[in-house]
Amino acid sequence: MSSPEDIARLRQLKESEPLGNAWITWEQTRKQMEETALLLDDPDPTMRSMAADEITSLSNTLSDIIQNTFPSLLVPQSTTKQLSALLELKSGVGGSESSLFLSDMLRMYQRLANNASWKSSVLAKNDTEGGGIKDAIVEFKGEGAYDALRWESGVHRVQRVPATESSGRTHTSTVAIVVLPLAEETESHDEELFSMDDIKLEVMRSRGAGGQHVNKTESAVRLTHIPTGITVSMQDERSQHQNRRRAFQVLTSRLMDLKITREMEERRSTRRNLVRGADRSEKIRTYNYAQDRVTDHRIGLTMKNLTSVLEGDGIQLFIDAVSKHHDESVMLDLLEDKET
Amino acid sequence: MHTRLLALLSDALGPAQAANELRWMNRALDSRLSLNDMVARRVRGEPLQYILGTPSLQILLSLPAHYTSGTQPFGPLNLLVRPPVLIPRPETEHWVLRLADSFLPTATVPVSLLDLGTGSGCIPLLLCHLWPPGTVNAHGVDISPHALRLAQDNAELCGIPSRLGLTKNPQNTFTTSSANFLAKDFKDAALSAYPRFDIITSNPPYIPWKEFLELPPSVIDFEDPRALFGGPSGLEFYHAISRLISHKDILNPGAIVALEVGHDQASAVQALMHDTGCFLRTEIWLDPWGKQRTVIARM
Repeated sequence: MSSPEDIARLRQLKESEPLGNAWITWEQTRKQMEETALLLDDPDPTMRSMAADEITSLSNTLSDIIQNTFPSLLVPQSTTKQLSALLELKSGVGGSESSLFLSDMLRMYQRLANNASWKSSVLAKNDTEGGGIKDAIVEFKGEGAYDALRWESGVHRVQRVPATESSGRTHTSTVAIVVLPLAEETESHDEELFSMDDIKLEVMRSRGAGGQHVNKTESAVRLTHIPTGITVSMQDERSQHQNRRRAFQVLTSRLMDLKITREMEERRSTRRNLVRGADRSEKIRTYNYAQDRVTDHRIGLTMKNLTSVLEGDGIQLFIDAVSKHHDESVMLDLLEDKET
Repeated sequence: MHTRLLALLSDALGPAQAANELRWMNRALDSRLSLNDMVARRVRGEPLQYILGTPSLQILLSLPAHYTSGTQPFGPLNLLVRPPVLIPRPETEHWVLRLADSFLPTATVPVSLLDLGTGSGCIPLLLCHLWPPGTVNAHGVDISPHALRLAQDNAELCGIPSRLGLTKNPQNTFTTSSANFLAKDFKDAALSAYPRFDIITSNPPYIPWKEFLELPPSVIDFEDPRALFGGPSGLEFYHAISRLISHKDILNPGAIVALEVGHDQASAVQALMHDTGCFLRTEIWLDPWGKQRTVIARM
């Protein structure tokens, strides 16, 4: 049987694998290059030209390793790599138009999840009249879901003529998104995120005798984590048991998010142009229908063809670009640390 | 979105619960049910559990199509409900979950459990589901043939067999029998058929006459008076239970008795249990709404 220490060691070994592989590839390619270089002086002209071709190809491989593989290894391994994600969407300014856009965004993320083979399920959702959604909490289960989605946290702005607007005037509305890490319920944590003594659990107030006297169907629950004041309400399911389980799941995610943010701050007191995950009131992206563009304000990336983002796979490009930007700023900070 | 229906439901249930129930109805929609009909039935006072019908489960268990049946979540279980059997209440769910946590039987000596007035079978089935396989053999009695049939259907649905199968894997079991535990000969019948018990649970009828007359339509029009009416004082069944456990041979040493009680009966029932002289200590558990709901007595 393997002990927890064994598992930790195995994980460490597994995680250092890319490093070892990169070095082996580098060494092998260099050695091949040295051997091939000898053939450049071969008496046979055919052999000489073949060797020259091979040298070109090998040196391309080497520079690719230097430019891409090695830098990517410099970025510290993500500690949140295996985590799934909870995505919370809340409609902001713009009333019913904001709710309509929220349902568009929800579909966009569900399509993304589908492409990435994450399992998505809606934990809570408040529909509005007219087909919009006031707020929603969606679970995306799968390795890497949190790391991919975490930079989606922030305020998303839409500029368009609402379907409900008769005068054809462009409205500006917003949807606020918060992405939280989600750990498996069965997973053992290094440390407990909360103690049950700190939790206040409330059920929907009801008067009367209860028990056999009434056929109660109220199943809403509310959790309060007293030290942080975080509250979670859940009423989507008929089963109070289920609502309670989900409320604890969301609470755990919020507390884990606090912990990750705190650790990030502690690790890096000098944070400069890092894409910030902490400030969720910041406007991060604009979806402008009139100009048919999507702009990410943090990295100044604009993409034409808005439909490909909202109805296609375009969102992946933004997620990749922001995540690359994040990696680059981590590297930049590493370099600056070395210089000082 | 269904503004008119929402308004109708709100008048009957209040706005917050109306929104939730309309959402659940929307999810349960199928070709045989329209939202209009569901709301109309609910407004007339029919329990939500019956309205959110379960055609797929009915097919699964090959029940006759005319059986009105629905479901009620109970802990992690989803139990069938069918008039006139009492629909499991959230208060019961709460104390049974707590009982499951506070007592953990082991497979070396499986405990034997007696549930008096088992109804849908919710109490023993949830315990059988939550406790490790091979740790409990539960038995439910009820006077109503409807209840016994429903309890057996639920056992099948939950995968709890009535006796150990041929497999070597340990299993919990659940059996039922027809009996009136108010009857004088119940003790002899119970003892002749079963060994002594380690746990007795019951959610007996506990509504006194005065309160029985004021029950809402969703209860009195659909649920069996024999599952609700506890005699003029409401305490008749607790007297019968205390007589039963006063017999020396009914409980094993270290046994637990867990009884659900009405909103103002806990002290009276606690005193009854105390007066049997069988128990070292008794306690009262609150339900999530702050009512004294369960009397626990331990030997």
